Formats: sequence, structure tokens, C-alpha cells
Amino acid sequence: MDPRLDVISEEGEDQDFSRDPVPVLNPAAERRGRTFQRFSVSTNDSLRFEPCEDSSPSPTGAEDGHDEDDVFRRGGAETELLSIRTRLQDKVSEMENFAGHLEEIFLTVEENFGRQEQNLEQHYNEVLQTLSQRYDERAGGLEEEKKGKLEALYAQLLLCGRALDRSKDLIEAAQEVRRAPDPRLFLKTVVPIMKRMEDFSREEVDFSLSTSEEFNTPLADLSDVKTMMDSINVVPAPSAPVINPQTPNSATQTSLRVFWSLFSDDTVEFYELYYRPVLEDSPVDGTSTPVSKVKVKETHCRVTDLLPNAQYELWVTATNTTGISPASEKALYVTVPSPPVMKQRESSSCPEAARIRWESGNTNPVDSYTVELRETGSDGTETGTTECMVGVPTCQCVIQLQAGLQYLVSVRAVNIGGASDRSDVITVSTTGTFFHLLEDTAHPCLSISEDSFTIFYGDEELPISAMALDDSTFTRCVAVLGDLIPVRGRHYWEVEVDEDTEFRVGVAYEDTERDSYLGTNRTSWCMRHIRTPSRHKYEFLHNGWSPDLRITVHPVRIGLALDYERGTLSFFNVELQQHLHTFHCHMHTYVHPCFSLDNPGALSVHVGMEAPRHAFM
Amino acid sequence: MALTQVSANKCAGGFQKVFEHDSTELKCKMKFAIYLPPKAETDKCPVMYWLSGLTCTEQNFITKAGSQLAAAEHGIIIVAPDTSPRGCNIEGEDESWDFGTGAGFYVDATQDPWNSNYRMYTYITEELPKLINANFPTDLDKMSICGHSMGGHGALICALRNPGKYKAVSAFAPICNPIQCPWGQKAFSGYLGPDKSTWEAYDATVLAASYSGPQLDILIDQGRDDQFLSAGQLLPDNLIGACSDKKIPVVFRLQPGYDHSYFFIYSFINDHLKHHAKYLNA
Repeated sequence: MDPRLDVISEEGEDQDFSRDPVPVLNPAAERRGRTFQRFSVSTNDSLRFEPCEDSSPSPTGAEDGHDEDDVFRRGGAETELLSIRTRLQDKVSEMENFAGHLEEIFLTVEENFGRQEQNLEQHYNEVLQTLSQRYDERAGGLEEEKKGKLEALYAQLLLCGRALDRSKDLIEAAQEVRRAPDPRLFLKTVVPIMKRMEDFSREEVDFSLSTSEEFNTPLADLSDVKTMMDSINVVPAPSAPVINPQTPNSATQTSLRVFWSLFSDDTVEFYELYYRPVLEDSPVDGTSTPVSKVKVKETHCRVTDLLPNAQYELWVTATNTTGISPASEKALYVTVPSPPVMKQRESSSCPEAARIRWESGNTNPVDSYTVELRETGSDGTETGTTECMVGVPTCQCVIQLQAGLQYLVSVRAVNIGGASDRSDVITVSTTGTFFHLLEDTAHPCLSISEDSFTIFYGDEELPISAMALDDSTFTRCVAVLGDLIPVRGRHYWEVEVDEDTEFRVGVAYEDTERDSYLGTNRTSWCMRHIRTPSRHKYEFLHNGWSPDLRITVHPVRIGLALDYERGTLSFFNVELQQHLHTFHCHMHTYVHPCFSLDNPGALSVHVGMEAPRHAFM
Repeated sequence: MALTQVSANKCAGGFQKVFEHDSTELKCKMKFAIYLPPKAETDKCPVMYWLSGLTCTEQNFITKAGSQLAAAEHGIIIVAPDTSPRGCNIEGEDESWDFGTGAGFYVDATQDPWNSNYRMYTYITEELPKLINANFPTDLDKMSICGHSMGGHGALICALRNPGKYKAVSAFAPICNPIQCPWGQKAFSGYLGPDKSTWEAYDATVLAASYSGPQLDILIDQGRDDQFLSAGQLLPDNLIGACSDKKIPVVFRLQPGYDHSYFFIYSFINDHLKHHAKYLNA
């Protein structure tokens, strides 16, 4: 029987009302009947839910012990499921990596085994060959001896034979002489024959064997074979170690932690780790880069004094009394990059977002950047958690933020070796809109203050050589653009001028014509102030046209309110909160604040203040 | 003071109503139009007084100016009184369209036979606000004034003579310097007599030159093709000059192609209501 049904029928016994079957996560608690189900997200008692309508409501609504709300349960189970799934996914990729590494090890073991086998064959072959050689030698020697002995004996035999023949001849001659009838002839020849026989008998006949019957068997000198045999038992030189791929997060900017292992039973006295930097422009054979060497006893090593964000080629050999192993495969390790350098001046913000820019901080490219931000309280203390945006591909990013807060932002550079140290922190405030001036766009006659918020048009003539050749500078209108964040929301900033400053302030597209005056083209909208001896004149220019307006009190502080959604750009006298004019312009792309001085004077830009209520009415 | 409702029409989510009452200042029955925005059903609302021009009644503005949508959006009550006492049977009151009936000039007349009924200045600045505040859900502090032509003149002088009473002021093609133009000279000599020094109290340009009080923020729209502008009846430059000297903030907009009609008012009434709302809803 389904255990769940058991529980439900039990609870049916405890209470009077029937309920729909509900997936029960904690049957034990249910059976107790009065316990409260605690969810994995810590909810407090007030989130308890009433049972369904057909039950009698309990007096406090609190103690009925059945706060199973289907939705919550499912929610709890779903998050559990999600986390299990993530864990499993991680495990799967771990195992895949491990499988890959195992394959490598497998291959190396095969190789090592092959080598060992070869060694063994060679060794024993040598021994066998030597022995066979000796045998041949000895056998040969014996053969020679035998031959010698036989020849000697044969020679002796011949001698004996001859001697025998001679004796026989003599005896025959003597016989013949005895038979000779003529006694005088007998006497004549008997004497020499007798002499010959006497001589002959006086001859010593050597009856000893010229050679012995025994063979000479000297002791065999097999000492070299013995050493060969012994050396089979001697420890061979080690086989190649296996160098591990780089472990994530084991590297720093200037050091690498290298691990390797030995997949055989070799004895090793020490290892030597070799490494050299892999340079972009080094020749393929790499002979020109110098190789460094470290001697270690363990199977790991921390190599230091390296360059950041650099690739290194490493390999390792093992050495024992017998000799040095072959080199391991070459592994490529990468050091962690240097931290990026934040560019505060090129960062801008508005109530909904911020655009942060930085320099890589590394000469070679890195894989990606991680941007970290955390909220701070107004006194600079950090509150809240750190949020990370990973995988940022370029040296800038636009982050969504909440209005009216302060954030601390920093960036790390990331490559396969890991993440760099944190860059310096910059502060971003989401009160109002904040931007700097784009100094690259400034007309050569315009100088910008240190803090980048005041511009001056001096009346000295600039030499022709100072005239810019840059495409982005203004060449006629003494103007400069501001670096407004490209976010289609509401932006507000203020401009402060003197009584007599002749200026143009407004907005323009980034590609507004640099050789024409602000407001005289379709790509810019501005308020223009002209000072005549008798009065002030104002124009609100776009495409060369302006409405006809009179303003009686000269504004020295002008508020500009840009609303992308409504397509409006409004101008205000800040002190009086007086609305001066509104352009209704549909901006098809992002615009930049623009500022210009028509006569020598100065103008200050104020940013980062909350827009007054009337600015976007 | 009893009010009799003359008409009521639902408009832009609120109600455009017309009432009649017995005026003590003007000693006759007077009608006024009042627009109550949707917000007035639940909350007190600020009030904008609209003063119409020569020959108008309480009807012209509410039927031609198209103000109700913006008034509803900003939650503003608009009160549009008539332009002079009616039915007083004063001899000569109907002789001209620019003097007498429909041409009260928002002054308190001192000359016979006008002085007992033609007291539009006090009616607008005293009696009418009291009446409105007693009978409608108004925010007592938040009052502003606006008008066209003669009504523009009226709005300007009420604001300049009562520093701090009106939170905002604006005008369409106002008569800025009546003592210098034919209209003004005819009306003032009739209502106020020959002594021109008595006229100055009703001249915006003169009043501006001696204004002292809380900061004003005046919005004036003027049609460039307005026949009365070219006829020298309106004289805005004089007012602008005086305000520039006295540093009274004015934004004066010369609108090309526009004339003196209600089509002109209709075209820019939203800007004016937004201008008033900025101060009334602050």
C-alpha cells in the first residue's frame, strides 16, 4: 500500500475533515499531528496558512498543525531539486575532467609498461647472447684441444710406423744377407747391416705418449655474465612522470603550483621541473627562450618569480641512482592576470544604472572580467552582499542599479589560471546623473579644469600647431561633449555661468558635426545666450531655428532635464525654479550633453544632484 | 450666499458646472463656471481663476479653451467668472463692445454711473474666492490666476497688487500697459475719471515697476499674428522692460502664426496649466 495513503488515512482519524491528498514531505511530523512544518527557507509562524474551507476554523488559526500549502511545498521541493541538479551537473563535469585525466594516465602506463617490457627483453637477451657466445668459445676451445691431441698422437703413430718399417726393412735385409750363399758377400754386407741394426737398437724409442689422454678444462670466467644478471635486479631508471593539468585557483600573479605523479613502481630520488615562458613571437621550436629548472623531492612544486597573465610550458623528469627518466609530456600553465585599473573619469551613472570602464592592466589579453559591487551606507560602511557579474568580455560594462544609493565597484581580470586580485575600488552614486566631459572632443581653445567640470575659453590665440587633427574635436564651435551614460531614462544636470557669458548648452548626438555650431544642425539642441550692450537675448536652437522668446531675469544657473521616453529636453532657471523652454524631440539614439562658449568666459557643469520635482513634471 | 446650479456636464472625468448667485459687490445676479476635477470628489483641490477678455461670458472659456483634460490631470479646480455685471440697466452699457457690458476691465469704478455695479476688481479678489471656498472643496492656500487679453490684464494686476495671494500667474495676449493703449484709455477714463494717476493702480507695467513681494514667475504667450498686437493695444514690450529692470521673472513667448482667438488659447492652455500646477501642487 502506498505509504502516503497510510499517513493520510491516519490524519483522517485524527481530524474530522477530509482533505485532498497532499504530498507529504515529513510523514513523521504529520503523524504527530500538531507539529508545524518548517520550510527550508526560514519562514516564520505568521506565514502559516489556514486549512481549506470545509474545516472548522481553529480559534487562533495557529495551532491546527496542518500548514501544508501546496504551493509552498512545491516551491520547497523545487528549490531542492534545482540545487540537487546543480550539484549533479558539477559532479558530471568533475567526472568528465577526471575521465580525461585518466585517459592520459592510461596512455602513460601503457608506455611505461612497453618500456619496461622492452628493457627486460633487452636485458635478458644480452645475457643470453653472452652466454651463448661463451659456450661457443668453450666448445670451440675443446674442439681445438681434441684436434691437437689427435694430431700429436697421429704424428707419434706415424713415427712409430716408420720406425716399424725401418725395423722391418732391416730385418728383411739381414735375412737376405743371411740367406746369401756367398760367404764373402755376407761378411761384406753383414757388418754395415749389423752396424745399422746396432745403431737402430741404440736409438731410444720413446714409448711415452706425446699427449695426455685428459682434456684441459679450465674454469670458465663468467663474471661478466654474472654482473649482467645481477643488473637485471638492479633498479632501472624511472619512467616518465605524468604532469597534471593546471588546478583551478592554484596560481597567483607570479607563481604556479605544479603537480605531477608517477604511475609506476619506480624508485625516485628527486624530480627536476623544467619551465619556460611561451611567448607570442618565439619561434616554433622554442629554442630561443631560456629554460629554468627546479629540483624537488616532492611531486609538487610552487614556481615563483613569474610574469602575470603569462603562459608557461612545464615538464618534469625523475632521477634515481640508475639514471634520469624521459621527460613527461609538456603541460601549459597560465599565471593569473594582474588586476585591472579602474577609470573613474570615464565612468558615468544615472539613477537606474552605471557604466564602468577600466583598463585591462595586462599587456596580453585575458579571458574575461568579473565585476563586483556592493551597496554602502552613506557613511561608507558596507551593507548587503557583494554581487558579481562574471564573463564580462570587454573593458566596460553597464550595470543595473537602484536609485538613491551608493555602491563600491571593483573588477578582476580572469584567465584559466584564475582571477586576479581586486582592482582599486571606485564609488558610484545613483543619486542623479553623473558624467565627466569627453576631453577628446574639446575644441583646442577650450581648456578644462583639473576636476573636469569647468571649461574656460581664454582669449589668447592658439598657434596653428595646436589645432587638432583629431576627428572628434570641435573645430569651429568652441565646444565639448559630456559622457552621458547610454540609458534611456531621465537625466538632469545643471550649468553655472556668469552674467555676461555667451554660451550654448544642450544635447547633441555623438556624431554631431564637429565643424558646425551647436544648434545650427539637426543633430543638436541647445539654449543660446547672447549678450548685447543693452540686454540679454536667448535662443533655443535646433536645425538653425529658434522660437521667439524674452526672458526678463538672466539665469546664471540653468537646469537641463532630458527625458528619453517623452522625447523632451527642458531648460530651467534653477534659482527661480522657472521653466524656460522645452524641446520636443524624438531622439533616435543616445545623446550627449554639449557645452560651448561663444566668447571668452567660463562655464561650470554640476552633476549628481537629484532632479527637482518640477524638472520632469 | 446661495448658489443656484445652472448646468452640469460630466467632462474629462470631472464636472463642468455653471452657477448663479446674487453678488453683493456687483449688486446683480452673476454667473460663473466651475470645473471640478475627479480629485475633487475625495480631496481638496487648488483653484485657478480664469479671467476672460472683452465680450466674453462664463461660457467662452469652458466651451472653447479645452482646459478640462489638463485640469483633471493636475487636479485643479478652474473658476471662470463673467467679465462684467449684467442686467444693471446702466445707460450706455451696451453701446460699445469694449466698454460697459462684457468689458469690466477688472477695476473698481469710481465714476458715475458705473461705480455702484462695476466693481469687478473686488468681486474677483474678494467676493468670489469667499464664495468658492465656502461652497466647494478648495485648498484655501492654493490659488492662482490666469486670463486672456483684458482678462490677462486682470490676472496681472491682481497678482501684482496682492503679493503672495496668488501662487502662480500667467496670461494669453494680455493688455500689458492699458494707460498707453486705446482700449485702456477709453475704459479707465470712463470708469476711473480723468485723473491718470488713479489709472496707474490698474496698469500692470506700472505696478511691475514698483512691485515688491514674493518672487513671481510669469508666463505670457502672445500670438505673433495677433491683430491687436500690431494695433498697439497690447504693448508687451513695455511690461517686459519693466520686469527686466525690476528683475521680475517673466518668460514671454511670441508664437508665430497665432492670432488673438480661442484657437490660440486652446493651443497653449496645457503649458499654462502645467505652469500653474507646478506651484499649486507644490
